[in-house]
Amino acid sequence: MTTPQNALLLIGSAKPAGQSTSEALGTYLAQRLQARGVTTTTMHVARAMRTEARTAELLDAVDHSDLVILAFPLYVDSLPYLVTEALERIAAHRQAQPSSAPASFLAIANCGFPEAAHNATVLAICRQFADEAGFAWAGGLALGEGGAVSGRPLAQAGGMVRNVVAALDLAAAALAEGKPAPQEAVALLAQPFIPARAYMLMGDLGWLMQARHNRALTRLAARPFGHG
Amino acid sequence: MNGALAGDSFVAGVASSLQDALRAEGWTVMPWTLRDEKLAYCLGCFECWTKTPGLCRIEDAGRDVARSVIESDLAIFLTPITFGGYSSELKKAVDRIICLISPFFTRIGGRIDGEVHHHARYARYPAMLGIGVLPEPHAAQEEIFRTLIGRNAINLHAPAHSSAVIYRSQEPAVATAILRNLRHKAERTPA
Repeated sequence: MTTPQNALLLIGSAKPAGQSTSEALGTYLAQRLQARGVTTTTMHVARAMRTEARTAELLDAVDHSDLVILAFPLYVDSLPYLVTEALERIAAHRQAQPSSAPASFLAIANCGFPEAAHNATVLAICRQFADEAGFAWAGGLALGEGGAVSGRPLAQAGGMVRNVVAALDLAAAALAEGKPAPQEAVALLAQPFIPARAYMLMGDLGWLMQARHNRALTRLAARPFGHG
Repeated sequence: MNGALAGDSFVAGVASSLQDALRAEGWTVMPWTLRDEKLAYCLGCFECWTKTPGLCRIEDAGRDVARSVIESDLAIFLTPITFGGYSSELKKAVDRIICLISPFFTRIGGRIDGEVHHHARYARYPAMLGIGVLPEPHAAQEEIFRTLIGRNAINLHAPAHSSAVIYRSQEPAVATAILRNLRHKAERTPA
C-alpha cells in the first residue's frame, strides 16, 4: 500500500443522500482521513450508475484516487445490485489499463442482523474484486445491528457508537500512513451495540410501527402469491 | 434464473442444456433470461415488508420472478461467477425476492445461540441449486460461491441446496451430468 493523497468514498446504499448507515460510516472515516491531510471525494453509486456519463465520472474518479473506500449495506448475503454492477465496470476498466496507478481498496459492510459475521461472505467478494481489479487490499470492516444507527451521522448517535468511532479512528490512522485497517479496528466495529435479544425485539417493534404507519398491520403475514 | 451478461453465449448454452435435461426428466421449467427482462433494482425501501407485505411496489418482471420462485420446487441460480459471487444481472433479481420472507427475526440453528435471520413468509420454499461459470478453476472464487449459495439457502429458507462450478473449457452440456450428480450431493439447509 502507498500513503494516500486522494481518497474516494463510494456510498453503496440506494437510499437518498444523508439517510443511510453506509453513508454515516463512510463519511466519518472520510472526515478522519481529511483531518490527517488526505483529500477525499464522495460519490453515491446509485447516482453514478444512472447514466453512462456519470459512470465515466466514477471511473475517472477511481483513476485519480490512491485509496478507494466502499461503504455499503448487505443485500441477501452479498453486494447490492448497483454496487455489483459498479465493481464489474471498475474491474473491467482497470483490467483494460494494465498501467493503472497503484491504489488500495477498503470495504465497509453493514447489515441489519445482530451478528456482524453475516458480512463475511461479502467481504470475501470485495477482497476478490480488489485482487482482480489490481487494488491492494486495505481491509474489510463489518458492522452488525446497522438498524441501530439508522442513517444518523455518528456524531449524533451518542455513546452507543463509541466502538464504531474508535474503530474508524484506528482505521483512519492506519490508512493515512499507507497501512491496512488493523485487526483491532475490525474487532471493535464488529462488537454489538446492544444484546442480540434486545436488538431483535427493537427491530421487530420497528417493523410493526412502520406497518401500522402504513396501515398494513393486519396484512403483515400476507402471502400474495397464494402458496403455502 | 439465468444471470448471463450480454453476449455470453456459453452461459446461454448451459441454460439451454439444463432446460433440456430437466424437461427430459419430466420437470416443467420456467426459464428467466434476466438481462432480457424489464427488471428494476431493489430500492431498499422495505415496503414489500411493511406497506404491501409480500409484494414489491415496483410493477415489473421482478414480481413475476418472485412468484415463479415461490411456486417452484427447485430454484436454479445460473451465473458467470463475479468476484466469487453472482453477476449483476442475477443479483438484481435476487435482491427483488426478499418479499418472499418476513421482516421479523428468528434464530436458525438453535433457539438460544442460533444465528439470527428473517422468518419465513410461506409454508414451503424451493430447494436451491447454484451453478457458477468460471473461465478456469479458481479455488478462492469457488469457495466464495459455494458459501454464498449456502448462506442464501438459509436466508431464503430453502430446505436443501447444492452448487457446482462449470469451466468455460468444458462443453455447456456438462450441465446435464452435473445436474444428475448433484441429486446425490444436495445438503439439507439448517433450519
